[in-house]
Order: sequence, then structure tokens, then C-alpha cells
Amino acid sequence: MSLPAFKLLRPRTTAEAVALLAQHAGNIRILAGGTDLLPSMQQKLFAPEYVLDIRRVRELSGIRPQPHGGVELGALTPLTDIEHSDVLRQHYPVLPEAAKTVASPVLRNMGTIGGNICLDTRCLWYNQSLQWRKSCAFCIKKDGDLCHVAPGGTRCWAAFSGDTPAALLCLDAEIEIASTSGLRCVKLADFYTGIGDDYRRLRPDELLTRVFLPASSAGYRGAYRKLRIRGSIDYPLAGVAVALKRSNGHIEDVRVGLTAVNPAPALVSGVTQLLAGRRMTEERAEAAGVLAAQTAKPLTTSALTPEYRREMIRVFTKQAIVSLATERKLG
Amino acid sequence: MTNDYSIIGKSIAMVDAAGKTTGSGKYADDLSLPGMLYGKILHSPHPHARIKSIDTSRAERLDGVIAVVTGKDAPNPFGILPVGHDEHALALDKVRYVGDNVACVAAVSETIAEKALELIDVDYEHLPASFDPEESMKAETNLIHDNKPNNMEKDYHHVFGDPDKAFAEADYIAEGRFLANEVTHAAMEPHCTLAAFELDPHTGTLGRLTVWSSTQVPYYLQHKLSLVLEMPMSQIRVIKPLVGGGFGGKSEVIPIEIIAAVAARAAQRPVKITYTREEVFWAHRGRPRTIVDLKTAVKNDGSITAVKARVVQDGGAYCSYGVVTILYSGALLGALYDIPNIQYDGYRVLTNKPACGAMRGHGTVNVRFAFESQLDEIAAKLKMDPAEIRRRNLLKPPCITINGLRVQSYGLPECIDQVVTRSRWNERKGKLPRGRGLGVACSHYVSGAANSIIRSDMPHSTVNIKIDRDGGVVIYTGASDIGQGSDTMVAQVAAETLGCALSRVKVVAADTDLTPIDIGSYSSRVTFMNGNATLRAAQQVKKQIAAAAAKKMNCAPEDIVFKNDRLERQGLCGDGRLARPGGAELRSESATVSGRVEGQILRGSLQQKRKDEGPKDSITFEEAVVAAIDFHGALSGTGSYTPPPEARGGKHKGAGVGPSPAYSYSAQVAEVSVDEDTGEVTVHKVWAAHDCGRALNPVSVEGQVIGSVWMGMGQALTEEMIWKDGLLMNPGLLEYRSPSSVDSPEVEAIIVESIDPEGPFGAKEASEGSLAATIPAIANAIYDAVGIRLHESPFTPERVLAALRAKRNAKPLNLTQGVDPTAPAKFREHGGELCFKGKGPERHEFDPARREAQLGGAD
Ligand SMILES: Cc1cc2nc3c(=O)[nH]c(=O)nc-3n(C[C@H](O)[C@H](O)[C@H](O)COP(=O)(O)OP(=O)(O)OC[C@H]3O[C@@H](n4cnc5c(N)ncnc54)[C@H](O)[C@@H]3O)c2cc1C
Repeated sequence: MSLPAFKLLRPRTTAEAVALLAQHAGNIRILAGGTDLLPSMQQKLFAPEYVLDIRRVRELSGIRPQPHGGVELGALTPLTDIEHSDVLRQHYPVLPEAAKTVASPVLRNMGTIGGNICLDTRCLWYNQSLQWRKSCAFCIKKDGDLCHVAPGGTRCWAAFSGDTPAALLCLDAEIEIASTSGLRCVKLADFYTGIGDDYRRLRPDELLTRVFLPASSAGYRGAYRKLRIRGSIDYPLAGVAVALKRSNGHIEDVRVGLTAVNPAPALVSGVTQLLAGRRMTEERAEAAGVLAAQTAKPLTTSALTPEYRREMIRVFTKQAIVSLATERKLG
Repeated sequence: MTNDYSIIGKSIAMVDAAGKTTGSGKYADDLSLPGMLYGKILHSPHPHARIKSIDTSRAERLDGVIAVVTGKDAPNPFGILPVGHDEHALALDKVRYVGDNVACVAAVSETIAEKALELIDVDYEHLPASFDPEESMKAETNLIHDNKPNNMEKDYHHVFGDPDKAFAEADYIAEGRFLANEVTHAAMEPHCTLAAFELDPHTGTLGRLTVWSSTQVPYYLQHKLSLVLEMPMSQIRVIKPLVGGGFGGKSEVIPIEIIAAVAARAAQRPVKITYTREEVFWAHRGRPRTIVDLKTAVKNDGSITAVKARVVQDGGAYCSYGVVTILYSGALLGALYDIPNIQYDGYRVLTNKPACGAMRGHGTVNVRFAFESQLDEIAAKLKMDPAEIRRRNLLKPPCITINGLRVQSYGLPECIDQVVTRSRWNERKGKLPRGRGLGVACSHYVSGAANSIIRSDMPHSTVNIKIDRDGGVVIYTGASDIGQGSDTMVAQVAAETLGCALSRVKVVAADTDLTPIDIGSYSSRVTFMNGNATLRAAQQVKKQIAAAAAKKMNCAPEDIVFKNDRLERQGLCGDGRLARPGGAELRSESATVSGRVEGQILRGSLQQKRKDEGPKDSITFEEAVVAAIDFHGALSGTGSYTPPPEARGGKHKGAGVGPSPAYSYSAQVAEVSVDEDTGEVTVHKVWAAHDCGRALNPVSVEGQVIGSVWMGMGQALTEEMIWKDGLLMNPGLLEYRSPSSVDSPEVEAIIVESIDPEGPFGAKEASEGSLAATIPAIANAIYDAVGIRLHESPFTPERVLAALRAKRNAKPLNLTQGVDPTAPAKFREHGGELCFKGKGPERHEFDPARREAQLGGAD
């Protein structure tokens, strides 16, 4: 499968980058690590006239603790750096825990946090070659009018399958978005739409530049559990991130983020109310698991049955909460 | 056991290792020729349809397109089996699976060729398709091939002994259905073929054809090319460059190989085609989804008295090796254990999916999974140790099994002993912590088929050896090294036989112009058959050298020992041991001699030397070679191998498949743990003992055993081709999940040497036999760990969890019903009707409907 021809643009500054985006809006794609974009272009899911390679924009890279607390991550920061960052491991462990499960070591060297956040939603009926997609007369996300996953449906259920956003949601992360009209900051939770074929609120002329982890989320213990068939390479078939804060032997706050089971990564609501201020018991953890499973609406967008994937959301949530609530050592 | 070999039995690096590890080695896709074009194939988007018309004119008009070919350009049918000539290079009138080959474009670049594919207009008439073998068997209309009623490629019904009586007299009968889902080879190298015609010097028209192809079977390819292109075989040369793995997926003629030649003929320029990974999945020829209904009768002492197996294979749209696969599935019920009564009913069924074919462990793997699982169930029922029940059913070779298989060397008892001891089975089995378990299983495989697929009396392997005055030993062998190491094996066998240094040996392999016929690298035949042919060729040359050297050394030829790159007179030491030139004196002499003679010795000077020095006790290999060439004029030898008549099996219909000159044996113990909350299975360690007769290159044997275990583990736990109405949902290595290095258990490969009386130096096969034991060993270990018996492979976490829930009577896990937030309450398999009627989208720029609208606007 050949890569469709395109013109490569390589800006050196954010200003140049957003100017080019504005100039070619609608006919341009941003390339960070390229680990998601390039395979998709080979499959002719995108055939933009221009590709904007932002890897020369130095200012977009790096993990920077802020003077008044909190940490700022450049959108171009490779996942490998996040996985191994001491600052993050110490203060925001759920993020490196999730980052280290992405794909494989080689892909983590190339893949960026920005790319992971902006990652296209995935579906077995979508992530296929042009020839393959013709065989099913295309699907609603790309070139077609049908959903094969929810037959008769007119909505796209392609699943968001990035690992780190589940963790970032637990950390209440914010993102900075740049365009020629300036900068805007949004909560990551508000970035996603929940619609498979229009999954993020990002205009064609906009660039994700930074991710902020607030000081208030520092010090939460963190765990990430990922359902996959192989121990490496595989995208999540279900993913659960849990950030948990304890005080005086009680749970103070718990946040549970899910991925790969909905068109958007999602926070499970009501878990804190269920567990905060109480002692951890098997039943309470179980109840949190049930809550999480109710938030998950997996469909046949990937391998393994939806039933099983939802069941694993329940099991993983429970296991992660129990282990974080009871483990001795902090972090 | 000590032996006196100096080259075989040692672990040595493959002779082609450097090129492969540095990247300088050339695989088919690394080759290019001046003026070469790139070929791209148009595939069918429909599982079953009649082609009403094909219009290639728009594609032909595209700049950079040199030729477009369709079925009409090469209408002759072909197929790997003489009984199965049901394929065409490109579809003639019908397409039979999504991915079937329709047309091919040859263009100056890959991008242009891809674009041109979109400009080919094909008008299809949709036909109802068959996807499920048990449904397909009932079809009376819309047959996949008109000459195959009920879509039955072939069925066989064998009865050996008196199974009914044995079942009537049994103490216990186990019965069950097992299902092994479809898997494919996933060789690292995608198929690639480069085809080029020469111009005939007299006529200026196209003359001889040369094809470089990633193939396990150059001679079959030459033969099929000749059939389809209507050219004499002598005008076709097939060369096999380095091949990046085959596992059976390149063991027959794949459409790409013919299409490239057809396109090159039309374009009058060299054409190269390399499959995408998706196309590799469509070319397939992997292991069919297999339904095994198995019944075993035993006595209370654990002895098996009868087996009944009904096997249904979902063969895909073409015959491929199917007739052989379904026969192996029955035949290899024999030759592992002593089973006095066997009934076998095998059905190879056609369906509208890519053709299944030969895959590592061809035919035996899925039935072995069923058999060894059921044997484990029986052991549990009889409260007998699973290793012990296997020991109670051993054959007593030499013998001929009830279904006509001759067994001579038989290392199975030692294999079982080895894995039992090394895994500390007796101390640990059944005593591991909850969720952890051990399982044992056995398997076997042929060392080549005793009857070739093309019936003839020709030898299965022939090897030529040429030795010249430069002291180099050149072996011309048709054996196809596909990564398994046959070039190295051939070099070792020749060097050992001739007693010369391995570095003298150069292997010229798998080039039909240069190398004599070898029928290919499949059914684990190469070491046994090509190894024997090499051995015989080397012995023939050795005889010639000995005759000449004997004169020089003034002794009888039989008294000369070839060893360590020298020839020595035997018995000089007087202590019964072979003579060996000791001490620095002799060695320095040999150095000066070889220094002087190397490469350019002249008859005169040699005679002078002979006069000067008189008869010798010891001469160098080079001196001997020169003497022999002086004496005989030239030095060459030929050896060939034909399986002995006694090994060729019985007389019943289908008796030709199964017999082999020798069988390899394997026993394995797997240690696994099962997470009872998630159903995830982890394989911690596999002890795999394999009887390969003699390990000519132990490290290579270990590599094969480890690779087999790994591939078996893939089929056991993660690999599965997933279909929705003929559409392969996972045609790539991301979604078709072969285990990664992270998933690798420790594999302890244990070599057992039973020294086969007919194998070269006693060697048998090493590369397939182990695979089949891994799957049931893991299944049996899961049973030991958590008490569930899995009847369907792969044992994905959801299947395991569903079984655990069922056992506990807990909330069942429904594997088909899903959660669907839109209208339909139930998940259903994708309805083919919905999409294949084509009332879908008209939005894609390549969509014909949309294109017409555009064209309309332009006119
Ligand atoms: C074999 C394989 C396995 C994988 N497994 C996983 C997995 O397990 N988990 C997982 O999460 N991912 C997985 N991935 C996907 C991918 O590697 C990661 O998600 C990675 O983080 C993507 O980052 P990237 O920089 O390579 O993205 P790119 O491919 O460069 O970009 C991805 C998308 O984001 C857009 N984009 C990138 N950066 C920006 C920006 N700054 N502003 C606006 N838009 C932007 C691009 O235009 C594109 O649409 C896998 C990929 C492969 C090929």
C-alpha cells in the first residue's frame, strides 16, 4: 500500500505552524510522531494535500514542572519520556502507568502525548484498506452511510482507544490549543464529543500545544489496567485508569477514567461519593466496578465481545481500587 | 553417546546468517531489473459473484500504465494437486471470495498502478455465498465450483480393524466435539515475485522466462507456469532468492507468481509484485477451521481400543492442498500410539473464503488437539496419571500400524520420560497452587511424504556435487532454504561425508537451470530426502577421490579415512582408533604442501613431488582432489533419494497420504496459570522433547522446536482469523495476534536422538512435529489449573472466563450478545445482505456511482 502523495510542510515555530494550518485549513493534517497518521494514510483514510510535520517546533516538547505547582507537558513529548519521567512518576503516577502500556517500546519512542490525545477513534470496519472498505460498501465514519456495528444506526460508535487520556481525565488535565486567532484552554473532558466520526473539538486550523496537570491532582496514587490479548503492541480493548487519594486510612478521593469502550474516554461519575471518607471493603469496590461498567458501552468495534470487555471494566476497576486503597507504599 | 563426527552434531551458524543479519542478503523484493514495472492486483470485493464484464480501457489510458491483464490473458487452470486444478491466475467468469484475483495492472510506479486499479470497471452479478462448512455441505444450488456437488471438495471414509466391536466392548468411552478456529502462517516476508522474459535472438519475440519468487517449491512453480503460459518447462527458469519464512504458505503456486509472469508477458517488460500484508491473508493457504467429533474407547487399564473421528474442514474457495490435508487428519491418528481400530470420516468442504492449504503440522494439528485433550479427560475419568496413560499406549516398533504406516525409530518413550523428569511432573502435577497447572501432550509428524503429490517414479531429491582443482566443493541442490537451514544442512552432510572443512563447501540451491529436481520444502522432507541425496552424491565423489588417493598412498581405498580436511591411512595408530596426524611436524609439512599446490598445481610438478616423497600416510584434501581429477578427468557425483516401497503405505483409497520413511516424535509439558477473574492464561514454561533421529545441527533443531512451540502457543491462545460473512475482519498483524516476545514463555528444548536406520546419519524431521503437542499441552494445563476443559481454540480470555463461569454456575458470560445503545437489542453478526447488495454509500470518490455523476458533469 503506497502512501498517497502530499506536500510536506516543516515549520520551526508554533506561529509558523498555525499560520500554515490557517492557510490550508481543511486540506492539511498534522503529523507528530506519525504512528497513527501514517498507517491511516496508507489505508487511504486520509489523503490531505499537505502534511504539517511539527517535529521541528522545539517549544512543543518537554516536561516542565511549574513554579506554582502543577506540570506542563509539551504536546510533542514522546510517550517514552512520560513513561520514564521521575516528576510524573512521583506526583502523577497514573499517567506514566498508562503511557507505558501504549503500543510497544519502538512506537512509544515515536508516539507523542499530543498524538495520543488527538488519536483517531478506531473500529474494525474503519481501520482497513480502501479495498477492504469497498467490500463492505464503506461505513458511516468514512465514505459511507451505514454503521456495521449498530446496524440501522446513523451514529458512529468507533471507540476512542488512546491509553493516556483515561489517566489524564483522572488528573483533571487541561489542554492548550493554538490558532492564528490566539490560544484557548479547555478541560480535556470537554475536548471529546462522544461521537465516533467527529470525536474531538478541534477546528481544522487549530494545534494542540500543551497539556497541564494541575497541582491539585498531584500526589494521587495511580494504576492503569489494560485489556489486551498480547502483552505488547495491542491497542486497549478496554482500559481503566484509577487515581486515588487517601488520608487517615480512609479514601479521600477516587477518580476512574475509562478508555476503548466508548467513542470518548470517560470519567466514571459517582465513585467518590461511593467511597470517599470510608474504609475500603470488597463490596464497596465491587459497587464502584459496577458503576464503571455502567459507564462503558462497548460495541463490536474491536476484538473480543462487548459483553466481555464491559465485564473487564468492572473487574479492573475493582482490582485497581482495592490495590491502590490497600497498598502500603505511596506512589 | 559419543560419536566420531566432526561437522554434524555440532551447533554451527547458518551458512547464510551473515547476509540475513546485516541486511545484505537479497530477498525477492530486494531485486530489481532495468525497466522493471510494478504490478498491482485488483481483488474481488464480493464473496461470490459472476463477472458479467470487465472494462480495463480507462485504466489502460492512465499515464504510466503499460499493461492491464485479466483472466482471458491466461485462461488455463492450475492447482498444486493434479486433482485440484481449479484456480486461474485471474478470475475467468466467477469470483469466489473477497480478495479473489480479478485483474492486474503493470505500471511504472506502485502509486500509478494503485490508481489504475480504481479505473477498472467490473460488472458483477451477486450470487448467494456459503460461509459455514456444515451449511455449505447442504448446498444444492449456487455451487462454488460446478463440478463439486454439495460444495464437497472431497470426503473420505476409512475403517481399519473393527471399531464397532471395540466400542461395544469398551470399559469407558469418551466423546466430544472440538473446534479449532482458522489460523494462518504470518511469515515475516510477504510473497513477492519478479518475472522477466528474454528476447529470442532469432525472432525478436519473447523467449525464455526467468522468475524470482518467494517459494518453497521452485519445481512445482516451473511446472505450473509452463501449464498456464503454455511454454515448455525448459524455457522457464525459477530462482528462489532468500525466503523470509514459509510455514506452508509458500508451498504451492500462489496466484501472484503466475500473475507476475502473465503481466510481464503482456507488458514485455519485467514485472515485480509484492503482496501487501492484507493480500498475504487473502492468499492464505493456512490451517482450516476444523470441527472434530471424536470418540475414544478405552479399557480400564487405560489402553485405547478404538477411535472414531469425524472431521469437517472449512477449506475455502479452492482445493489447494485440501485433499491432502483431510487425509493427513485421518492418517495421523495412527503412528503415535498403538490404536488397533480406527474409523475416520473426513470432509473437506468448499466455502466462499480464501483457500486453506498446508501449514506447519499440515493436517495433524487440530485433530491432535482434540485427541490429546480427550485422552486427558479419559485419564481424569480413570484416575490415571496423564503421562502414564500415554506410556500405556506406546507402539512397539518396528511395526506397521493398522492404517498402514511403517514405524521404525520411535523416540516417544524417551521424550515422555524427559519432559516428565525435567518438569518434575511427579512431584508437582496436581500440587501447584490454585490457578496454576501442568499439562502433558504428545505429537508426531512425517519426515517427508513417501508418495509425492505428482505420481511418478522420479526421485524426490537429486543432488549434484562438483569438486574442482581449487579444492572447492560445490553442491547443486534443489532444496529450498526458506529460513529453516537446508543450505546449512546440505553443506554439513557433504563436509562430514567428505571429511573436508565446511568452509570449502558452497551451496548452489533452488535454481531450476542449475540444480537437479527436488520437489520442495514441505512436509518436513528436506533433511531426510535431500540430506540422503547429498550423502549419496558425496559418497560417490568420495569413492572417486579414494580410488585416486589410494594409489598415491599405496593402500586400498577402503583403508583411507577422510577427516579434518585430510586423508589418512587407517590403522596407523595400532590401537584400534582412527589414525590422526599428531605433532607439529606433519602439520607444518601439510602447510607447505598446500601452500604450494593451492589452486594451480600442475600435473608435472605433482608427479615430481610424488617421486620425491614416495607414498604417504596422509595427504591433504586438496592434494587428494587434484590427484583424483588427474586420475578421472573431472570430479563430480550425483545422489538421489526415493522413498523405499515398504514405506509407501497401504492400498485403500487415500492410502498415499500419511506414509513416510520415518516419523518424528514429541512430548511436551506446559506450565500455565489462569486468572480466574479475567480468564487470562499465562504460559510460564514449556518443556518440549523432540525425537529428530539425530540432530545434525543441534542449535538449529532447538530453534525449530522453540519456534514450533511458539507457533502452537499462538494458535492455542491468541491467533484466530475472524470472519463476518466472508469478510476477514483482521487481515493484518495488529489485529491477527501472533504472540509478541513479551508473551514468550521459557521453552526448554530437549533433543532426543533415536537414530533412524534410513535417515542421513540417522536424522529425521525437526521443524513441524512439535507444534501439535503445544496446543493440547496448554489445554490440559488449564484443566489442571482450574478444572475447565476447553473445546474451542484459541483459548481467549473470554472463552476461558465463560467456561469458568459455566463451571461455577455463576452469572453466564454471553459471548454473542452485546450492548447496543441504538435500536437493535441484540448484537448480530454483520448481515451480509445489508452491504453486499450495495445500497450503501455513494460518497467515496472512487465509488462508481459517484464517478459516473462526475463524468456526466464533465461531458
Ligand atoms: C501497531 C500500533 C499499536 C498501537 N497501540 C497503541 C496503544 O496500545 N495505545 C494507544 O494509545 N495508541 C496506540 N497506537 C497509536 C499511537 O502509536 C499512539 O496513540 C501515539 O501516541 C500517537 O502519537 P503520534 O505522535 O504518533 O500521533 P500522530 O500519528 O502523529 O497523530 C495522531 C493524530 O493526532 C493528530 N495530532 C497529533 N499531534 C497533534 C497536535 N499537536 N495538535 C493537533 N492534532 C495533532 C494528527 O493529525 C493525527 O490525526 C498504536 C499504533 C500502532 C501503529
